[in-house]
Amino acid sequence: MTISGLGPHGERAAPPERVSLLPDDRTAAKAAGWRVAVVLHTLESDWAKQQLAGMMGIFGDCGAAVIDVVDCAFSPDMQVAELDRLISQRPDAIISLPVANEQVAAAHRRVSEAGVKLVLLDNAPTGLLPGKDYTALVSSDNFGLGKIAAAGLSPRIPDRAKVGVLGFAADFFATNEREIAFTKWLQVNRPDITPRIHRFARIEDSAAAADDLLSANPDLAGLFVVWDTPALAAATRLAERGATMSMATVDLGEAAAIALATGNSFCCIAAQQPFLQGITAAQTVILCLLGRPVPAWIALPGIGVTRDNVVESFQTIWRQPAPREVLRVLGLSRGK
Amino acid sequence: MPLTAQDLTESPRPRGKGRPRTVETAAPSLVELLNLVRTGAANTRQELERQSEFGRAVVADRLTMLGDLGLVDESELGTATGGRAPRLVRFAARRAAILVATLDQTAIGVGVADLSGTVLTEHHEAADLTAPPAELAERLTALFRWSMERHAPQGGIWGISLSVPGAVQGATEGDFLTTTPPVLPAWEGFPLVETLTRDFGVPVWMRSSVETMTMGELHAGAAIGTRSMLFLKVGRRIGAGIVCDGQLYRGAHGAAGLIGSLPVTSGGQSGPLDALAGSGMIQREGLSAAQDGRSPMLADIQRRGGEITAIEVSQAAQIGDPASVAILTEAGHLIGQVVATLANALNPELIVLSGSIVQTNDILLAALREAVYGASHPFVTRDLRIIRSQMGSSAGLVGAARVASEQLFAPSFLKEWVMQGSPLAHPAFAALQDRLSQTAPPPPPPRARTGQELPR
Repeated sequence: MTISGLGPHGERAAPPERVSLLPDDRTAAKAAGWRVAVVLHTLESDWAKQQLAGMMGIFGDCGAAVIDVVDCAFSPDMQVAELDRLISQRPDAIISLPVANEQVAAAHRRVSEAGVKLVLLDNAPTGLLPGKDYTALVSSDNFGLGKIAAAGLSPRIPDRAKVGVLGFAADFFATNEREIAFTKWLQVNRPDITPRIHRFARIEDSAAAADDLLSANPDLAGLFVVWDTPALAAATRLAERGATMSMATVDLGEAAAIALATGNSFCCIAAQQPFLQGITAAQTVILCLLGRPVPAWIALPGIGVTRDNVVESFQTIWRQPAPREVLRVLGLSRGK
Repeated sequence: MPLTAQDLTESPRPRGKGRPRTVETAAPSLVELLNLVRTGAANTRQELERQSEFGRAVVADRLTMLGDLGLVDESELGTATGGRAPRLVRFAARRAAILVATLDQTAIGVGVADLSGTVLTEHHEAADLTAPPAELAERLTALFRWSMERHAPQGGIWGISLSVPGAVQGATEGDFLTTTPPVLPAWEGFPLVETLTRDFGVPVWMRSSVETMTMGELHAGAAIGTRSMLFLKVGRRIGAGIVCDGQLYRGAHGAAGLIGSLPVTSGGQSGPLDALAGSGMIQREGLSAAQDGRSPMLADIQRRGGEITAIEVSQAAQIGDPASVAILTEAGHLIGQVVATLANALNPELIVLSGSIVQTNDILLAALREAVYGASHPFVTRDLRIIRSQMGSSAGLVGAARVASEQLFAPSFLKEWVMQGSPLAHPAFAALQDRLSQTAPPPPPPRARTGQELPR
């Protein structure tokens, strides 16, 4: 699978294999006994839980202690305060997902200035440079995810119809890329479709944003939401209004997998690989602490998931069996 | 609320016979004071009085005017050094925004910058510069509109600045472009500048990517505070940006640093550096190594249906493919020989390498260092640092923003619009808009649905 996007500074993607650990690396890491902290936007989502699961395994193998895992609740102010608190604890490295752009840039710069190695997930605030302000960015190919979603939704959309796009209001690399790629794919391949973009600032607002979008465009034929949690909220609200339509989103969370299997509205999910991303981020931390050069941007390809391949995709992505409800809906599990 | 030209020119108070209007005399002092504030040379009224040698009343009057125009802000207090804390005078960099873009051979980048040239947001995506220019212009416009919608600057857009892959004829110091200069053969005859000016209603500047990236490194990258620097961009073409005494040296026609045309010899073959060490050579040699069995790694990429470009060869070199290492080493040595000549002539304190080939491997950098150190006078290399850019394509966006910022506030340009509070009121720009309104825009590019072929 190829990476179709470019990094936050136009970098070409390096594959996750570039940060593989050799047995010698693990031995050297164990001898060092590093202390690492993780700062995420939320700990509630399936994506975040899988990221952590991937990281913990590698850090455990390498004898690195994870001294703190912070839930920023999507709040830039909380992230700034938590990063400053962590700097005072002098960890060897911090993995952070910057929840905003300008508001959190200076706090992340302070981490590097304090001599703490910083590996970013999914977002690099504008102005921060790899090698100087942070070590590396590890993310999905978010541009590719937007393209997968558009290509998956397109066959369900009639000629000259309108498609809604529910974007994220925060200036965030990952969701920006998905939105740009989705609309670009339509512009190039389905110029007959008119995209209608609306954005939500908080997940709690996503259902209301879907309401607003539908009220302004009652003839919407489809909807793309930039990740699964708000997409599910939007789908519920649209169903309450009796406006069922084809939907596509990003992230194969458990509830999203069930929704895709039932086939009522979701027809395509562009899935990230959060478990593998967590492994990659942790390996990047270990390598940079060992003084090895690491690429500025390491990207993981997305996976296009439909009702037909949801079970095996779920297993690949989550390293777990698909939810029982998915198996039941698809007739693969015949128990209660 | 910004003043209008009418506010400034029509005072209800009678004025003395023969006495010039404020509007006729204020522009030079406004220009000087604004630029002192903008460049950070002065940030209190006292400093402004001292540096400009204007009296207290004049400084107070002009700052009031600049404040009303929204160009300076005096809402913050500084640190007291005995007595009352001075009121800080700050340049209102967010008064409006600048749209910036880099057009590279294989990528397009867009961003929104403030008036000080700080890039606030950016996006990069793959693009093919050999595609029809109408398609490129349409994509650029779509990305600009997305950026504007996303970062809706309160005061609107005051300019567009483009970084392009080649020297820009006619882009001399001073005014914005009124026609599209010839940059690439594929763009021949397409009115890119006119289209952007018409669509966005703002002046357009254009510089070579080597110039913008050099400025980016100088103002926001590894070369901050550097007085003498060489910047090298290695791609299909190889170019150098030269910084002397802290300033970009552009030459007589903005064509300084075209080192890719210099003749070199490699393996008994002579030719320009571009042809023997650029990404075209790296790709060609990589393909050859894949086909004749010297590189199993590149052959494997081909077997799996992958394309071999200079990037694949660079990545293969990084993970130890011997044939790819040899290709990159040869390129690095050739470029290094030319750079050593420049280094001996200019004695820079820093050499920065950029371009996607350089970013994806360490081999080329190492070979270039070896060649430069081997062929330079010891004094030249004693404290010389040769490093890889950390900014990537962002350097082009930052540099493009600096170009527009410096041009908008260049004294000769600024004095023509400062009284109106917006460069869009500049008489020469108004005349350009009039002219463009009388000509038809180019037709949109043809479209096809997935699986359909476009007529070519």
